[in-house]
Amino acid sequence: MSRRASGLHAWFLQRVSAVYIGFFVLILLARLWLVPPADVDAWRQWVASPLVSVGFALLIPCLALHAWVGVRDVILDYVHPLGWRLLMLSLAAFYLLAVSAWALFALERLS
Amino acid sequence: MRFRIYRYDPDRDSAPRMQDYQLDDIRPGMMLRDALIALKAQDESLAFRHSCGEGVCGSDGMNINGRNGLACITPLAGLKEPVEIRPFPGMPVIRDLIVDMSPFYRQYRAVKPWLVREDPEPEVEVLQTPAQRARLDGLYECILCGCCSTACPSFWWNPERFLGPAALLQAWRFLADSRDQHSEQRLDQLEGPYRLFRCHTIMNCVEVCPKGLHPTRAIGQIKATMLKHAI
Repeated sequence: MSRRASGLHAWFLQRVSAVYIGFFVLILLARLWLVPPADVDAWRQWVASPLVSVGFALLIPCLALHAWVGVRDVILDYVHPLGWRLLMLSLAAFYLLAVSAWALFALERLS
Repeated sequence: MRFRIYRYDPDRDSAPRMQDYQLDDIRPGMMLRDALIALKAQDESLAFRHSCGEGVCGSDGMNINGRNGLACITPLAGLKEPVEIRPFPGMPVIRDLIVDMSPFYRQYRAVKPWLVREDPEPEVEVLQTPAQRARLDGLYECILCGCCSTACPSFWWNPERFLGPAALLQAWRFLADSRDQHSEQRLDQLEGPYRLFRCHTIMNCVEVCPKGLHPTRAIGQIKATMLKHAI
């Protein structure tokens, strides 16, 4: 096993997730613009439909991965003392995991 | 013409300072290196490196009005006054405009900038087709002046671990060479979050390269090659 954190995988994941995020956000914007939901219930109903909820369920880990690589890059660039670096990487990881779990839980309650 | 030049002698000075100079004898077509030589005649304590005087040796790289460049090919005519001249950013200063280039050369050496062949030495030259040779254009011309790497924020932040644009351009120069047989090891050596992947395509390197080379494109080609080998 390599002792190094990943370079190529992280870079590749960031790009692939960016493509999906861009694609899904465009769909979301198009839907909001072309067929604006009448009220919150209509919006919830749309989000809860199988295809859209799968789309959201994919969006959440994609966003978390994308953010993880970005935040990791910032920390690797700027935070040099090992202790601080470990602490900040751990905080970022826990935060992103928690937010993702929360978002997935909210999505689950809609369906 | 007015100049403000960074002065620092670590043996004598407690801190760097900017010193003002005035040069009256400005001739048409004069380059910054000519002006520095004239200023050195006024004040012989001023220290800077220079050699060929025509943008080939890469010795007189410095920060000119906030932008890295070679003094010998920078015309005075285009410079805003006072011309502010500093050593390369982020590099240890030996004296005045002279910096210690060791961190830069260390990263250059790390990419093994020579052909590595596994096959036995051939009797004649290893031939290339014109197309194979053409792949090295835009890569072999690097003069290792250091303008690019010392303009790169990623190199300022992690000079020990990020190879920097100049070394990565050379890494690609040997990966792209049809005669080299060390691609897998070269790519393995570049993996990890630091050596290659600290590049965030800021493109200061492309902006300042006095030879008009494109390290960012070379870095992109290394990443694409890595990906091709990985999947």
